[in-house]
Amino acid sequence: MNAANIIDPATLEGLAAFGINVLIIIVKIAVVLAVGLLHVAYATYFERKVIGHMQVRLGPMRVGPHGLLQPFADGLKLFFKEDIIPAQADKAMFYLAPVIFMASAMVNLSVIPYSENFVIADINVGLLFIFAIAGIGVYGIFLAGWASNSKYAFIGGLRSSAQVLSYEIAMGLSLVGVMILAGSFNLSDIVRAQQQSVFGMYVIPQFVAFIVFTISAVAETNRTPFDLPEAESELVAGYFTEYSGFRFALFFLGEYIAMFIIASISAVCFLGGWTLPWYVLKILPFLEYVPGIVWYLIKVYAFIFFYYWIRATVPRYRYDQLMKIGWKILIPIALANIVVTGFVKLIL
Amino acid sequence: MIQKEAERIFETRELNVNMGPQHPATHGVLRLVLDIDGETIVKVTPYVGYLHRGIEKLGENLSYFQALPLTDRMDYVSAMSNNIGYCVAVEKLFGIDPPMRAKFIRTIVGEMSRIANHLLWLATHALDIGAMTVFLYCFREREWILDLFEMICGARLTVTYPRVGGVRNDVPQAFLDSLWKFTEEFPSRILEYETLIDQNRIWLQRTVGIGVISAEEAVNWGMTGPTLRGSGVPYDVRKHMPYDAYDQVEFDVPIGTAGDTYDRYRCRMLEMRQSNSIIRQCIEKLPPGPVMADDPKFVLPPKDKMLPITQPTDMAYFIIEKACKGCGMCLRACPAKAISGEKKKAHKIDQSQCLQCSTCFTTCKFKALTVVPGGKGLSDEKLAELAVAPDKLPDDIKEAQQNLTRQFDFIKKGPKVPEGEIYVATEVPKGELGFYFVSDGSGKPYRMRVRAPSFVHAGCLPRLCVGHLVADVIAAIGTIDIVLGECDR
Amino acid sequence: MRDWNAIAKAIVKRFTFIEILKGMALTLRRMFSHAVTIQYPKERRPIAPGFRGQHALAKRQGEAKCVGCGLCAAICPSQCISIGRAKGKVTKYEIEVLRCIYCGFCVEACPYGAIALTENYEYSAYRKEDLILKRERLLESWDKYMPGTKGEEYFKKFWRPMSDDFGTPPGQATFRGKQQ
Repeated sequence: MNAANIIDPATLEGLAAFGINVLIIIVKIAVVLAVGLLHVAYATYFERKVIGHMQVRLGPMRVGPHGLLQPFADGLKLFFKEDIIPAQADKAMFYLAPVIFMASAMVNLSVIPYSENFVIADINVGLLFIFAIAGIGVYGIFLAGWASNSKYAFIGGLRSSAQVLSYEIAMGLSLVGVMILAGSFNLSDIVRAQQQSVFGMYVIPQFVAFIVFTISAVAETNRTPFDLPEAESELVAGYFTEYSGFRFALFFLGEYIAMFIIASISAVCFLGGWTLPWYVLKILPFLEYVPGIVWYLIKVYAFIFFYYWIRATVPRYRYDQLMKIGWKILIPIALANIVVTGFVKLIL
Repeated sequence: MIQKEAERIFETRELNVNMGPQHPATHGVLRLVLDIDGETIVKVTPYVGYLHRGIEKLGENLSYFQALPLTDRMDYVSAMSNNIGYCVAVEKLFGIDPPMRAKFIRTIVGEMSRIANHLLWLATHALDIGAMTVFLYCFREREWILDLFEMICGARLTVTYPRVGGVRNDVPQAFLDSLWKFTEEFPSRILEYETLIDQNRIWLQRTVGIGVISAEEAVNWGMTGPTLRGSGVPYDVRKHMPYDAYDQVEFDVPIGTAGDTYDRYRCRMLEMRQSNSIIRQCIEKLPPGPVMADDPKFVLPPKDKMLPITQPTDMAYFIIEKACKGCGMCLRACPAKAISGEKKKAHKIDQSQCLQCSTCFTTCKFKALTVVPGGKGLSDEKLAELAVAPDKLPDDIKEAQQNLTRQFDFIKKGPKVPEGEIYVATEVPKGELGFYFVSDGSGKPYRMRVRAPSFVHAGCLPRLCVGHLVADVIAAIGTIDIVLGECDR
Repeated sequence: MRDWNAIAKAIVKRFTFIEILKGMALTLRRMFSHAVTIQYPKERRPIAPGFRGQHALAKRQGEAKCVGCGLCAAICPSQCISIGRAKGKVTKYEIEVLRCIYCGFCVEACPYGAIALTENYEYSAYRKEDLILKRERLLESWDKYMPGTKGEEYFKKFWRPMSDDFGTPPGQATFRGKQQ
């Protein structure tokens, strides 16, 4: 019997095309996952090196030349560490929390346009999708705090959920200006719109929004000076105080991926993603031959470097001050920015 | 009405959190039991004693000389100041006065210790509030000071450098040069820390108006040191009851106005600058002269004056039969049990058992025990021939015997101390450190009591924290600058 | 009268994050300065002479100087020294370094200059017995860490008090002026 006899050739062709598509997506996912995890590994290394040098020390130096293999040593250590679960913990939730946190961070990797046509799921509501999924990540944090049955973790979880939720509003509002300018939620479209705009990057017309976004991005990812949920001098390690071994590593991974996502949004929405502004290309036309992913990564890592730089410089806010900044300063500014942007858009 | 009903249905209570004794921000093993309502502190109960080592009781079982290293382990962050406080107190009790050079050296190292302490305080305080980099910048300079300490006494942290009656040894030239370089560079380093936090809006928001305590209240709580001065009380033991060389240098006592965490921070920053200037003045004025008080009763004798007896290896000790009264002093003192003899009868040294340690030589009151240079291995008869009465020995050996006797007496029995009691306070970086001694005339204190500023300050924590938020507890612990080694002793 | 200048300054300060930017400039500058840390097992910091590390029993012409008078044991605040004697010889001299607090009082108490604290600080061990230093090991460490005339120098400088401390020796350290 011949397969062609049963399925008509057109269907077969369709199936083959579908199969190739799936294969391409799988390859993309594999690439993104591998690169994402590698990013996490080396983002920790990068952070330790940058902060180390800023603090007149060297950072990791032991494992491999200049400590280059340190992330793997860390991973190995975390993998083989004893997995401790507090006796009174809610086991199911305790298991689930890091998975939710990590998974929600990972899912977001799928809608980021890394380069022209390199995006796993080019959905129309990319930006909203990211916010929705990031909202789910809060459950991970809160459940971790609650399930640990530890007071420190509990307070950390409370703080974190309140903080992430309120700063998500500020962050979302700060991006509304970009959406108005681009007229789309699709991240690739936002990049293309920037490429065609007069400014080349939305950071110029949306400067205020960019500042609001940067500040709330730091808060959103629980980094200094807004690292209250895990303020080690107050709450030991916040919501993951009771976690150890690979569960701890999952939180760690999730946090660094979330940082990558936020830096990506910043690169995509404000800094022009994989593109360069037209005026730069006019002055230096040879830059056109550099692949877009390079520009994208440079922008992302510049933003991440900025995170580390901030962390090395400033002290930590107090919880009430943090909420005050979020609700009383950032959100009104973001709202005002929306109004102004809207009017300007209407007039032009 | 509705609220009451709601309260009945949803029973609310404060969250009871144990902060410490194992906690990153409690500066050691302080345990605070916090009752928190949301994030607001309702009640704070400090529990101390996790680092209790019984230093006061130990001090009663050690001679005044021996107890000195214990003070290193009280406030190990500024061990030098604690040593000085102890020595000043014991000197007052003994009624001896260290020479001027020693006083200046002590003032120098005391102020170095103050800078080192304030650097560590700033480092940890800033780290607690989240400014991580200040921590390492401070340690960079603290390291320099610790290296300088190592240069003069061979230890970095637990220095045991001052002695009752002076200091252990004179300072080397390299130390003074390096220290001068330090004082020249240090002000710019302070500016570096201040660049990071002094005007930083986050730092200001975290410290201004936090842990406010009025001058009157601060005095009532028994606060001392910068913690008190932040509230505007210009009380400084160095100014009001000068010890060492503090009456010979010029310095200001910086005070705050508001009595909040920020003012106390400013006070300490200014104090570091003052310390820097005190060190510079002391280096400039450092007079030549001895570094130990020449008081045979209370200080160890010079080692080189014992060498005529202790250096040769061929000495033999011999009891002159005629002079020996059989009192048994040497018999009891001999560590090798080489002396035998009945009471009231002449004793005899078994030369094969003798270690030539000279212990017996320092105990004999009747000039019966003598030393025979080059007499090792000779028979008793031969020794009897060669032996001369101790007062007819060469002068250098006689002097060496006197010194050796002092050395043995001092170490085995401790110095003879006038009876009485005394309280002497010194200004350590954390506040007023007082030593209270009751002496019964023996070589060991009958009672030793330490007034530790950290202990007093730890008691103020509830006053500083209640009504603030959890994060402010950290700021409050930082601002009173406690070390639990001193608090618990 | 309002100080408009000051108000303007305050506004500029508030909205330009000037103080945070200054701090960031400092951290960035420090990023390109040399690290002050030392990569320990590879590099070691220079140890000042007279460092109070592991103990050693001094020798003279190959013989131990210690006569076993027991003053070190008497003064030791933590009572970590124990001495045994038999037939005119020191048969046992043990220092329990786990209890030692490195105050250096044993050096000061010894009239014979027989015990020294060396610059060795790397003698951690897995077993408690290894940290009770026996007489042989103490004598060995003298050869190891105080070779040549180093031991003599050590006692000259750090065996205190000496007559110098009660007088004014020549060459006392003084302030050598600002050019240093």
